[in-house]
Amino acid sequence: MSWAVVAKKDFQDAIRSRALWGLSAVFLLLVGGVSVLYATLDEITGGEPTAVGLIFFVGSTIGLFVSVAAIVTCYKAIAGEREVGSMKILLSLPHTRRDVVVGKLVGRTAVLAVPIVVALLVGAFAGTALLGEIAPVATVLFGVVGLLFALTYAGIMVGLSATTGSTTRAAALAIGFLLVVEFLWDIVILALVYVANGFVFPTGTADFPAWIYPVSQVPPSSAFVTSLTAVIPDAPMQASGNVPTAEAFDAFFATPWVGVVALVLWTVVPIVLGYWRFQAADL
Amino acid sequence: MTAIELRGLTKHYGDVTALEGVDLTVDEGEIFGFLGPNGAGKSTTIDILLDFVRPTAGEAQVFGMDSQEKTLGVRRRTGVLPDGFHVYDRLTGRQHIQFVVESKEADDDPIDVLERVGIADAADRKTGGYSKGMRQRLALGMALTGDPDLLILDEPSTGLDPAGAREIREIVREESDRGTTIFFSSHVLSQVEAVCDRVGILRAGELIAVDTVEGLRDAAGTEARLKITVDGIDDDAMDAIRALDGVSRVSLSDSQLTVAVSDGSKTAVLSALEDRGVTVHDFETDESSLEELFISYTEGSA
Repeated sequence: MSWAVVAKKDFQDAIRSRALWGLSAVFLLLVGGVSVLYATLDEITGGEPTAVGLIFFVGSTIGLFVSVAAIVTCYKAIAGEREVGSMKILLSLPHTRRDVVVGKLVGRTAVLAVPIVVALLVGAFAGTALLGEIAPVATVLFGVVGLLFALTYAGIMVGLSATTGSTTRAAALAIGFLLVVEFLWDIVILALVYVANGFVFPTGTADFPAWIYPVSQVPPSSAFVTSLTAVIPDAPMQASGNVPTAEAFDAFFATPWVGVVALVLWTVVPIVLGYWRFQAADL
Repeated sequence: MTAIELRGLTKHYGDVTALEGVDLTVDEGEIFGFLGPNGAGKSTTIDILLDFVRPTAGEAQVFGMDSQEKTLGVRRRTGVLPDGFHVYDRLTGRQHIQFVVESKEADDDPIDVLERVGIADAADRKTGGYSKGMRQRLALGMALTGDPDLLILDEPSTGLDPAGAREIREIVREESDRGTTIFFSSHVLSQVEAVCDRVGILRAGELIAVDTVEGLRDAAGTEARLKITVDGIDDDAMDAIRALDGVSRVSLSDSQLTVAVSDGSKTAVLSALEDRGVTVHDFETDESSLEELFISYTEGSA
C-alpha cells in the first residue's frame, strides 16, 4: 500500500494550498447564492422548485469549479516535483513510479472532494431550509457522480502533469485542454456537423447525425451533467451546449449513460498515457 | 559482499557524455568518497543507482540487486541525501520524517531523528520557513530514518557552515560504526579526505583514480615542488631543466622558478642551473598536497 502513503502525504501537502481555499470559498458562496436564487425566483423553476431540481442547479456550478480547481490543484502534481527536485526525495524512498502516480491521483482527488462534499451539504441544507424537503437518494447519487467527476479531472490533470518535467509545459497542456475540450468544443461539434453535412449547416438540430451525441459528451463537464441525468431518477432533462439531449436521437448509443462512459474513459486514458511517459523518463 | 558495483556504466544525453565506462566496487562497511568537479558525473551515477536515470550501457548493482530491476529493494536498504533536492514547503519537519517512517515501514520516532540532526526545536514548523542549512539537515534526517544499510550523501555540506559540515562528518562516522556503508560525493576534497577510507576521482564522466587516501597521498608525495629564487636565467637554461630526468613541469614567474620534480632529482636541477651560470639565491621544496593532486587530476594538466 505504498501508494496510500504517497496519497496521504500528498493530501496533507495539497490541501494547504491557499489558491484552492480561495477558489473553494468563491465556489461555496456561489453554491449558496445559486440555491437561494433557485428557491426564490419563479422565473427559474416555473413556480415549482423541488429538492432534486435544486441539486441539479448546484451541479451546474460544480462543473466549472472542478475543472478550474483541478487545474490549480493538479497541474504541478508531478511536473512540479520533478522541476524543483522534491521528486528526488519522494523516489529515493521505497515507492515505484506507479505508486507515485496512483498516490498523486488519489491524494489530489481527495483534495478536490472536500469542497464538493461541503457544497453538497450546503445544497442539502438550503433545500431543507428553503423548500422544506430534501432528496436523500438524489443527494447521495449526486455525491457519487460528483466524486467520479473529481477523479476524472484529477486523472486528466495528473496524467498531463506526468508527461513533462516542466511546470510551464504542464500549465500550457492543462489550459490548452480546458480551452479546446471544454470551452471550444461546441465549435468543434459545429465544424464536424458542417463537414458531415456536405459543407452546409443543417437547417435545425433535428438534422444532426446521431453520432454527434456521443461527440457532445466529450467535454468532461458535459459528461458529468449527462451522467447525473443517467443515474438520478426524476432528473430534470437538460441539454448542454447546442446538441439536444439523448431522446432526440434514435440510436443505441443515444443514452445518457454515454456520459458515464465518457467520464470513465477520461479517468483511465490520460493517467495511463501519463504514467507510460513518466516511467520511461530520465528524471 | 559488495555494497555498490558499477560495470562499464555509461550515460549519454544526446551528444553529451555524462559517464563513460565507469567500473567501481564499493565494499560493505566502507566510507567511500566520490570526488570530482561539478558536472563530472557524480550525480548522474547516483541517479542511476536509484533508477532516476537509465544508463545507456553497463549496469549498476546495490547489494547485488540490479538498480533497474530491483528498484524497490535498493531503495528499501538505502538512505539518500540528494543534491539539488527540495522539501515540501507546506509540511512540517515532523511530517517529513513521519512520511519516511511510513514509506520505509520503520519505527523511528521523528523527534529523535530531528534531535540527531539538530533541528528538533523546529519540528512543528513548516519547512517553507526553514533556512537552507535546516533543509539540508532535514534531508539528512530523512536519509538516516529507517537505519539504512547504505547511505548515499550527494554534496552533503551544501548550505552548511563549517560547524555543520563537521557535524555531518561525525554522523557519517557514527553510522559507519554501526556498519552502514557510506557513499559520500563531493567536489570539495577536504570534506572527503577527513572521513573516507577510499576515494574515487571522477573527471568528465571517467573514473581516473581509485585509491585509499594514504595511497593517493603517497602518489602525490613522490613528486615535490622545488621553488628556486634565481638570477640570470635564460630560455636555454629552462630547456635544459626540462630535459632532465624526473622533471615534469617548469615555470618561471619573476625571479622564482618552480620545478615539479621527483624526489631523487632535486640536486640534479640545482647543479644544472649552476653549470649554466645561473645564480641560485635560495630554494625550498614543498610536498604537493592531495588537494593539488586532485586539482591536477581534475583539470587534466600533465
